[in-house]
Amino acid sequence: MENLLSPVILFFILGGLAAFARSDLTIPETLSKTLSLYLMAAIGLKGGVLIASNGFTLDLLFAGTAGLLLSFLLPILAFAILRSFGKLDTVNAAAVSAHYGSVSVVTFITANQVLSDKGMAPAGYMIAVLALMETPAIISGLFLAKRGSTLSFQPNSDLLRETLLNGSIVLLTGSFIIGIIIGKDGFEPIAPVFETGFTGLLCLFLLDMGLLAVRRLRNARSLTLRLVILGIAFPIINGLIGTIIGAAVGLDVGTTTALAMLAASASYIAVPAAMRLALPKADAGLYLAMSLAITFPFNVIIGIPLFNQIAIYMVQLWS
Amino acid sequence: MVVTTPRKKIEILIDRPLMKRLRQITKDVELSGYTVFDAIGGEGGQGRWRDDQVTGGAGSKVLFISILNEEKAKEFLTAIEPLLDEYGLLVTVSTVEVIRADRF
Repeated sequence: MENLLSPVILFFILGGLAAFARSDLTIPETLSKTLSLYLMAAIGLKGGVLIASNGFTLDLLFAGTAGLLLSFLLPILAFAILRSFGKLDTVNAAAVSAHYGSVSVVTFITANQVLSDKGMAPAGYMIAVLALMETPAIISGLFLAKRGSTLSFQPNSDLLRETLLNGSIVLLTGSFIIGIIIGKDGFEPIAPVFETGFTGLLCLFLLDMGLLAVRRLRNARSLTLRLVILGIAFPIINGLIGTIIGAAVGLDVGTTTALAMLAASASYIAVPAAMRLALPKADAGLYLAMSLAITFPFNVIIGIPLFNQIAIYMVQLWS
Repeated sequence: MVVTTPRKKIEILIDRPLMKRLRQITKDVELSGYTVFDAIGGEGGQGRWRDDQVTGGAGSKVLFISILNEEKAKEFLTAIEPLLDEYGLLVTVSTVEVIRADRF
């Protein structure tokens, strides 16, 4: 309940309700793009500054390795379930599964904010883990699509370059590195922009995400009940795996929850664009609806408090 | 008196991420020029869609317009033909009158 009363979540719910009620409320596209760039720069900087203060630890290596493996392997599990229970064809199952191996930056930012408010801020190096988890799932997804089909596409260096140089990844990683370079002292003069205004601007962005998610759900023609169930089941399964791994490698509660949220979240920035380019026959309306209209709201409203509670239990169990 | 000459205008509605492929084809066939417009939204066989830059443009579309002489238009249409089904392109060709025909 405490999570639901956070201003960030309330703005997300407001956006969703406005879209349900068919309100004409809209955030101009250029503003929402600007907000998303601001949030990525801010979260990258904060993570880098924390690393500069606390230094590199062995936990970073453990969490990074866990994140990479999760991103590579989670699509394989999702693909098998999408083919059997979800009754999707190979190409669509591969495209959707890639989304569930990759991560949602906004889910991570929201979780980071909620956990920080509770005094359980995740370690700064989780930004690096986030960046690491963006792309391996795309490679897994393309491998799954190619296996057992006669697709004409060839995953090539162009696609890999375009994916790695995706604007969001470049900004996030670049800001993270800048944060490490400038450290706490260098961050102080720019903190009023990137720290003081952060929560308020996150509220506005989540208002837009609420509008987007519900409007996407309204227009999703190819979404079946089975796929809606999977859109909720995948974050639960993947988040549980993330929580168990996080606690097992000795991460603290906040960082374990953050790893769980990265595993539970589905991409809707880097992966959809890459899949549209590499697997044009896959239904973009389907994978965007699953990741943005089902999984994202589930994670923001239920997933964050749920995995936080599980992480508290798991970390106690392992310690 | 202004002299006008008939030319072919090709319009293609295409998903934003796929524009990279189309741009490559324009280079391959050495197109003299084209213009791309952002599309705000619409409705079609796949349902309603709207411009959405937050999701990396995966659900957004752009409108590509080029004016060509008949020979170049045929060459370009032949080059994009294999993409029509796979990329779900919406292509229209019309005849327009242009001034300064040597530019097209």
